[in-house]
Amino acid sequence: MAPIAAPFPSGPWFEELVARATADTAAMERLGIAEFRLGAEVVGASGARRLFGLEFDGYDITATGPTDEAAFAPDVVFSGSLEAWTEMIGWIEANGPADSAHSLNGLSIAGVPFQVRSSDAMGSDKFYRYMGTLQAVFDAASADAPVPAVAN
Amino acid sequence: MSLGLDLGYLERSARGEFDLGWLRNTDSEWGVRAVPSKTGLTLRDISIGSYGVIPEHAPRRTMAPRGSDIESDVPDMGYTVNDKAEVWSDNVLDLYEEAVSRQWSATRDIPWSELVPLDPDVEHAMCQLATVLSEVEMVAADFPAKWLWRINHDFVEAKMFLCTQVMDEARHTEVFRKRALANGGGLGRATAVIERFLQLILDAETYDEGSALMHLLGEGIVLSLFRAGAALAPSPVEQQIFRLCMQDEARHVAYGTMHLRYRLAKDPSMAADFHDYLDRGEEMIAMIFSTPEIVEPTAILAAGSVEAACALGAEAGDVLRHQIIGDYLKRCDHAGLDRRGRLHLPDAIIEGVPGAKAEVAA
Ligand SMILES: [Fe+2]
Ligand SMILES: [Fe+2]
Repeated sequence: MAPIAAPFPSGPWFEELVARATADTAAMERLGIAEFRLGAEVVGASGARRLFGLEFDGYDITATGPTDEAAFAPDVVFSGSLEAWTEMIGWIEANGPADSAHSLNGLSIAGVPFQVRSSDAMGSDKFYRYMGTLQAVFDAASADAPVPAVAN
Repeated sequence: MSLGLDLGYLERSARGEFDLGWLRNTDSEWGVRAVPSKTGLTLRDISIGSYGVIPEHAPRRTMAPRGSDIESDVPDMGYTVNDKAEVWSDNVLDLYEEAVSRQWSATRDIPWSELVPLDPDVEHAMCQLATVLSEVEMVAADFPAKWLWRINHDFVEAKMFLCTQVMDEARHTEVFRKRALANGGGLGRATAVIERFLQLILDAETYDEGSALMHLLGEGIVLSLFRAGAALAPSPVEQQIFRLCMQDEARHVAYGTMHLRYRLAKDPSMAADFHDYLDRGEEMIAMIFSTPEIVEPTAILAAGSVEAACALGAEAGDVLRHQIIGDYLKRCDHAGLDRRGRLHLPDAIIEGVPGAKAEVAA
């Protein structure tokens, strides 16, 4: 599968990402239900922030944005510079599902180059609770099979 | 013990003289039609009418399903946890559904064939970490199991969630034992200091105390270890192991945090008790950072070799230290218990953690 044609970051890019991730409904359902609102924040060189929302509702995933944080009310915001985002996505496009160093978890655990921000502990803990689903969505940017094997 | 066999009934029913009391004389709510929501028929969907009412104090100590017609001479099961606030959390119905939906298999869902040969010291570090985890995971099954039969059946949804935790922890014990034995290494060292912490949880005098020590504090630490393990994974095998365990562990911590929040909302005067439990429990965090069998394997995995870890010194564990303490303070805060002013930790451990050192108690 070719890289997503829409420019990053943009509403159409996130919509295509979700469409790819959810194309194999059965595979995504095997990862289990999730109830979660993730804000993907892209910080430009000027410091301008753009937020794109991913809403996980049971087995459904919807992309919205660009939006603003107050309107979307995310449980957690995953924030990084445009450079960090394009590097992460570029790696996945080129190599397939993220390895530990290029995963959402690996890139945010030290607070650089990504930060995980939430207003309370339940928000950041949801980032951990749904990590498999969340990573599967971003891995769908790759040319390889988008959903990892958690078979039934 | 007589179970009350009614021989006369055997004869009457043989003649077709049925009792039919259960059919004609019912007081339970009837005509209930729970409607499935988008993922299926959930616990929340059936939490309707009188069946959704959970008593603050269970009126009986019986295994009878909440909402059923209960005969007056049912035996007393001797439950000791009979107040809802002792076990409840507002997210427990959803956590149960999530736990059932997100189960996985340590046999099938880990790509075991993708293990890679590691430098012998790094393999040894991974095996030591797997040994510690295989050891500590099972206490999080033993503790709920110890209390399950004491918890009143009126709080069955909380009991059901704890049953999912028991299964989760069995799988965590399993997967780390398997990892230790799968790549040319073996089991490492089990230490007395870790066993003493597990004993502290298991011997807790109340569910409140044990839950604070385990669900909030101990499993919070383990969650951070899992997060670090996933970030440092040398192959897709360890990445998947730690990621899947992290998801489960975060549910257990979410229950613990929200249970404490519920408990304190119902009875704010209990804050002093929980502070006392955590004063003692925090010695555990100190212990984690002074146990070579935990600190050193993590540092070696982070740095990539023994030499690199030694060169970095304490720095190799800084990310983990910050995360454990920072997340713990945040969870306590969300539960309604501000620990920032009274962390019982040595300066060397809270050094550099935002909001921790300046206000630490002597
Ligand atoms: Fe566990
Ligand atoms: Fe756990």
